[in-house]
Amino acid sequence: MAYIDYYNVLGVDKKASQEDIRKAFKKLARKHHPDLNPNDPDAKRRFQEINEANEVLSDPDKRKKYDQYGEHWQHADQFEAQQQQYRQQYGGAGGSGGAYWSSSGGGFSGEDGEFSEFFESLFGSRGGHRGGRSAGFRGQDFNAELHLSLRDAARTHKQVLTVNGKKIRITIPAGVENGQTIKLGGQGAPGMNGGPAGDLYITFVIPEDTVFKRLGNDLYADVPLNLYTAVLGGEQFIDTLDGKVKLKVKPETQNGVKVRLKGKGFPVYKQEGQYGDLIVTWRVEIPTHLTEKQKELFRELQQIS
Amino acid sequence: METDLIIVSEYCRKSHIDPSFITLLETEGLINTRVIEGIHYLLSSQLCEVERYSRMYYDLSINIEGIDAIRHLLEKMENLQKELSLLRNRLRLYEGTLL
Repeated sequence: MAYIDYYNVLGVDKKASQEDIRKAFKKLARKHHPDLNPNDPDAKRRFQEINEANEVLSDPDKRKKYDQYGEHWQHADQFEAQQQQYRQQYGGAGGSGGAYWSSSGGGFSGEDGEFSEFFESLFGSRGGHRGGRSAGFRGQDFNAELHLSLRDAARTHKQVLTVNGKKIRITIPAGVENGQTIKLGGQGAPGMNGGPAGDLYITFVIPEDTVFKRLGNDLYADVPLNLYTAVLGGEQFIDTLDGKVKLKVKPETQNGVKVRLKGKGFPVYKQEGQYGDLIVTWRVEIPTHLTEKQKELFRELQQIS
Repeated sequence: METDLIIVSEYCRKSHIDPSFITLLETEGLINTRVIEGIHYLLSSQLCEVERYSRMYYDLSINIEGIDAIRHLLEKMENLQKELSLLRNRLRLYEGTLL
């Protein structure tokens, strides 16, 4: 657990006035607040740091304690116990005044209630509030990644996710895209003081498939075609998401020719019964390891061409 | 559900916000409220938005005009992010073809 320089976090001098601190906090909060930087974990982390620094420096008591112990914060409790003993022995301030600190801590938290271990060690765990508008705090939003294969993304199915120890059953609609984020309202951290729960944002990660490439709702596949079928025409089985289908090959099919199979592509997100197309590119394969007889026939063919 | 309604005065009391703030949001076209038999209601589907706007207004001291501008920019950003994601996927497709 490292010492945190709250003055540095807010970019203010150690002699900064309360007004300077308020201004610095507002300015940085406007830049890094999660509401203004949706789905940006870096901004969220930075905002938590700023918020914590403000929590300490904007409160004269906390600031005093922070300034008093600074980098020696680990010995703060020990030091205070000695001070208390001294006061009881020799009189003095006594009571609950002076450097005594209520363990209730607390204060403005914006959206996120996370405080560092350093903060908790120095000021106790968070609780209570300063009153005013922000009496109820909305819970923290959670972000999670869900890895799906292309084939799983092509079918509506249910999955159980464990987010922060809580099991959440979700239905994934067919057609979700790589990088797409969905929001599950109220599935984030619980709110505080009657505030609403945060939301859960799930981002889908869909790696490349070995057979199909996806572009929007269309699928692309390269299919090998033997030279003889390409030249003379015939039939060829190809893979689709539904299984194999037989496709007619026209005579004299060139390498790289594309064939579009209507409705054999990816399901359209949240539009039941609608599908993109499958675009097959024929990759004509030149035969190898020819026998002497085959070579002879090819030469014959060459001569009459 | 979109049709769930929340009484504005009740919401304001619990959230410690001034009801005039809700009026301000509606006047600027940021939210819609409903009036049924003289009582103002918020649509529960807009609750998240109201909370976000109130954090901007009260915690970040951004005025209504600023919130409206931010709303447009965030929408734009979201669309751009979607487009970026689409283009990334498209690039992956072409890179895969070249390999």
